[in-house]
Amino acid sequence: MERSFAKEVKQLRLGQGETFHGEGILAVTKALLQSGVSYVGGYQGAPISHLMDVLVDAEELLSELGVHLETSTSEAAAAAMLGASINYPLRGAVTWKSTVGTNVASDALSNLASAGVQGGALIVLGEDYGEGSSILQERTHAFATKSQMWLLDPRPDLETIVRMVEQGFELSEHSNTPVMLELRIRACHVHGSFAASDNKTGRYNGNRVIAEPDHDFSRITLPPSTYAQEKHKIDVRMPEAIRYIRDHQLNDHFDGDIEDVGIICQGGLYNAALRALVQAGLADAAGGSRIPILALNVTYPLVPDEISSFCAGKSAIFMVEEGQPDYLEDAINVILRKADLQTKVIGKGPLPMAGEYTAEVVLRGLSAFLSQTKPAGVDLEAATSPIRELDQYKAKAAELLGDLLPARPPTFCTGCPERPLFSAIRILEKELGPTHVSCDIGCHTFSTLPPFNLGNTVLGYGLGLSSAAAVAPNFGKRVISIMGDGGFWHNGVTNGIGSALFNKADGVLMVIKNGYTSATGWQFVPSTEGLREGRSTGSSIEKIIKSMGARWLRNVPNYRVGSVMKTLRQALTGKGKGLRVIVADSECQLARQRRIGPEIAARLRSGQRDVRTRFGIDDEICTGDRACIRLSGCPSLTIKANPDPLRDDPVTTVLDTCVGCGLCGEVSHAAVLCPSFYKVDIVRNPNLWDRMNDSLHRRLLGDAAKVRA
Amino acid sequence: MTEATPKATSVAGTETRPIGLLIAAMGGEGGGVLRQWLVDAAMAHGFAVQSTSIPGVAQRTGATTYYIEIQAQKSGGGSGRTRPVMSLYPLAGSVDIMVASELIEAARAMQNGFVTPNCTTLIASTHRVYAMAERTAMGDGRFDGARVIKAAESLAQQSILFDMEAMAKTHGSVINSVLLGAIAGTNRLPIPPETFETAIRDTGRAVEANLSAFRAGFAAVERGDPAALIPDSDLKRPWRADPPMVEQLQYRVREEFPGPSRAILREGVNRLFEYQNRAYAELYLQRLMRIDRAERDAGGPGDLVREVGRHLSLWMSYEDVIRVAQAKLRPERQARVRAEVGAKPGEPVRIREYLKPGLDEATALLPGWMARPLLAAADKLGLRDRLNIGMTITSTALWGHFLLRLLSSLRPLRPMGHRYHTEQALIDHWIGNIAKAAALDLRLAAEIAACQRLLKGYGQTQRHGWKSFSSIMDTLAIPALQGDVPPDGAAKAIARARDAALADPEGSALQGVLETDKKPGPSAD
Repeated sequence: MERSFAKEVKQLRLGQGETFHGEGILAVTKALLQSGVSYVGGYQGAPISHLMDVLVDAEELLSELGVHLETSTSEAAAAAMLGASINYPLRGAVTWKSTVGTNVASDALSNLASAGVQGGALIVLGEDYGEGSSILQERTHAFATKSQMWLLDPRPDLETIVRMVEQGFELSEHSNTPVMLELRIRACHVHGSFAASDNKTGRYNGNRVIAEPDHDFSRITLPPSTYAQEKHKIDVRMPEAIRYIRDHQLNDHFDGDIEDVGIICQGGLYNAALRALVQAGLADAAGGSRIPILALNVTYPLVPDEISSFCAGKSAIFMVEEGQPDYLEDAINVILRKADLQTKVIGKGPLPMAGEYTAEVVLRGLSAFLSQTKPAGVDLEAATSPIRELDQYKAKAAELLGDLLPARPPTFCTGCPERPLFSAIRILEKELGPTHVSCDIGCHTFSTLPPFNLGNTVLGYGLGLSSAAAVAPNFGKRVISIMGDGGFWHNGVTNGIGSALFNKADGVLMVIKNGYTSATGWQFVPSTEGLREGRSTGSSIEKIIKSMGARWLRNVPNYRVGSVMKTLRQALTGKGKGLRVIVADSECQLARQRRIGPEIAARLRSGQRDVRTRFGIDDEICTGDRACIRLSGCPSLTIKANPDPLRDDPVTTVLDTCVGCGLCGEVSHAAVLCPSFYKVDIVRNPNLWDRMNDSLHRRLLGDAAKVRA
Repeated sequence: MTEATPKATSVAGTETRPIGLLIAAMGGEGGGVLRQWLVDAAMAHGFAVQSTSIPGVAQRTGATTYYIEIQAQKSGGGSGRTRPVMSLYPLAGSVDIMVASELIEAARAMQNGFVTPNCTTLIASTHRVYAMAERTAMGDGRFDGARVIKAAESLAQQSILFDMEAMAKTHGSVINSVLLGAIAGTNRLPIPPETFETAIRDTGRAVEANLSAFRAGFAAVERGDPAALIPDSDLKRPWRADPPMVEQLQYRVREEFPGPSRAILREGVNRLFEYQNRAYAELYLQRLMRIDRAERDAGGPGDLVREVGRHLSLWMSYEDVIRVAQAKLRPERQARVRAEVGAKPGEPVRIREYLKPGLDEATALLPGWMARPLLAAADKLGLRDRLNIGMTITSTALWGHFLLRLLSSLRPLRPMGHRYHTEQALIDHWIGNIAKAAALDLRLAAEIAACQRLLKGYGQTQRHGWKSFSSIMDTLAIPALQGDVPPDGAAKAIARARDAALADPEGSALQGVLETDKKPGPSAD
């Protein structure tokens, strides 16, 4: 890890009477310790990475509390950890990015939910939905209902989030059911504060271990236990949960003076709903709303009499439920029907069925709801005016700005070792023609974006090779699959390589090793080298692949585009069928820069010699056809106004952020581009030899130049 | 900086809701640290504050936002809830302070409704970080920044626009500290600058540089005269002094050519003298005399001569190894490189040139009777693009320097080469076409002249450009010159085709445009 979380770790030690200040996801971490967990596990990914990262740095604290931390190699492994709570009164929590992680984990989760738990089991889910998300758009809600796990969706302030973590464990133990806590991206990253309490140790933990194993066939998910478990869910666990939620008022009810209508929202959307009401002149910023609000901090299961008593006497409620399908709206309609209430549930319609509910979307929905229902006591003109004004402003902006603004999709970092691989594929395409490229999850997925636009499918983490299994035999050319070292360990080694070799697949697999799961924040993988300060296991991806039976395996130096092309050409055009594996190994440049930056700074301060390398472009020679940018896309390779008084089109230039990785030079050679690139070594703190050598050359060449002129 | 008259707010609840501050930034600009400074400063005053962000993949140069709400009334005292319910989302139409670290990000904020005249103070840096589509465009794909500035002045209640990136650089800092200074300078937050300075000090990293950039940003906004945008034209590097050898030619430029064209022609004469010799520069003027006559006959003011003069000098100084060697050896180049890479005085630099001359470059200098069969044979064998030598030449070392010197000394041999003859013939043909077109329609002549813009690059790129150029000439220009199609329509079609030729490297857009604009006429033979 190149980053230190020392400051955050300190916050985890706070006790009664102190105030925690920090991020939502760290508040959850602290709440886990306050709840007396005995184990924590998970798989990193935005927006919950910090939960794991901080705990990795909190080794001392965890060993004091006897908490075991497992940095699992996949969400499935993390979910299976919760099995500890089936047999033993151990509280534990796991975390990952949802819904993709929940998909991976769902085998273990279904079994866990069927068996039921003794110790509180909490699954902290980063609901990666809406702006800033990096995955497909789905809801976690379906997992909760299909397996009968309870789903918490707390109001996004730290106090409520912490309360729901603590209550979540109680709910889990009372109802013998694992509980999911879903936090949206902005809630994970919200900075706020809450009154801390002391950390607790679990009844059993690493320092106070369990003596006897528990064997109870009724907890095993095999028939006939499974039939009994299903009945137990319905007959016992669900009613217990509903009772607990009602008795402990997990959902928040806010009164208001307008009686005709009400608002039911997911807890996580409460703040957005309230801000909309404030804008509409129906609430104050402190939370006093004229329209009554029921904020569901628990979205599954619903408490039927809580819903029906809130709705009774109201002609309509505004249902604020993000995402689709509209599970809550449907469920509430059923509750009201059974209670024989005629209250209308209006949600999807004024609000869009799909997409994130930003403050503007909710305000727009509220305006439409009020216009439709015209509740007594609401000044409709004032309430709907903010949206009308906003529409005018937006129309004016569109008129003034005109053209579509250029988008700014993410791309490989400056000097990224993955970029040259895609440059090589692109250049080689000119010679061999394009082929199908099966992509994977990781930074390398950016190959699908401009300027490379390379890649035909993304099917899931570690599944790059598996998703080519049926393309390869049906495609006229040998296909290329991509897999990162993160994906390799996540499950690519078995699902991808194992399966391909077993099925005698023909194709090219490019394994991109950079030593970390970089896209999620440089967590280590089992093959991270000891050199890079990781917990080295000695695992070698190359040895593993060979031992699995791969015959054709080559290593390539990432930045040597010509050499990568040569190997790739051999792999794509070689005779004979079989899997050809190319391993590209080069450390993540961003991690490297974070590591060596302070080292270089220290060297320079102490007067030691250091050579800095970067690239440049002769603007006089560059004719601005941008072939170099189209084959690279490096953030430091950009354009500038043309200094030539005879030319108007911009010229290409290299910014000072260049780290001198060498790709520009390699590409200009490999693709036979223009001769405008140059590489500069700047000798800082030069020694005597450097200075003498330099002055000699300057004198010789400088004078010569003058003579010529 | 410009200030619109602040309008009375009409949005309900503006007085009671917290101050909303939205920051649009890109990865690596220190947006997270800026957020922390603001939160720390607000907390130091006992204000209720909340912030959130969507970092995601932003560190990989994507755009991202941070949103902060600050309740300016001090919390505490009274009964019931004192801590306001803060929003995690900026609400379009009620963002009080919009901060954008770059010009297009400011435009994006405007497009999303985050800059509105009822309440928004817009603080944006006017420098550009070009987006991928702008960078990969073959011609000029840059978004018009002036348009953004105009929109900002009309959409924001108050707009503070200047190049904060440049200011940060002069203080050895990152843009976030200038942005913080600008925020403090607007006085929209009830937080004095000293508190922000304390927040910067507490971070404990690059404190002095950050403080000085913060103060500069603060002063620029307080003083109200931040540096204006630098127009592209000010970045030009024109020829400083005319070489004595061409004095007489420069005299001709001043005496014989129309006013609007003189600055360009002067540049052209100097360039071509340096490229080849005095006679070559004279040939340049000779060719332009013909255009000048044609334009005068058509009653033109000299714009055509200017434009042809621009394109002709670029074409006549076509790229070959001699020119590249000349450019790499230019005495002022090393100083320019040193400045660009930020080498301090006393720090030696070593410059390595990446060259890959191929068959095209080699045959360019051979006489036609040798070059033509060689090229034909290479084409037949499919070796035209394969026969090349990748070289990395250290131009700051003796051997590399000598090699470049050797190449540049081939200059006198250039006119004997195959490429020279080919280019001169094509140039004369093109000049002839322009002169003919001028008699029909000056616009048509200008459009034909402007097609030279397609001839750029080296090797394959250059051949591709030539293909685009000649298909536009054959399909659109020649029929107009023969009177088969009306000249005004042809002029427009040529402009369209030129844009299309620059739209994609494969030439498919051009193909499409040519298909539709090709007039089915009786002239087809």
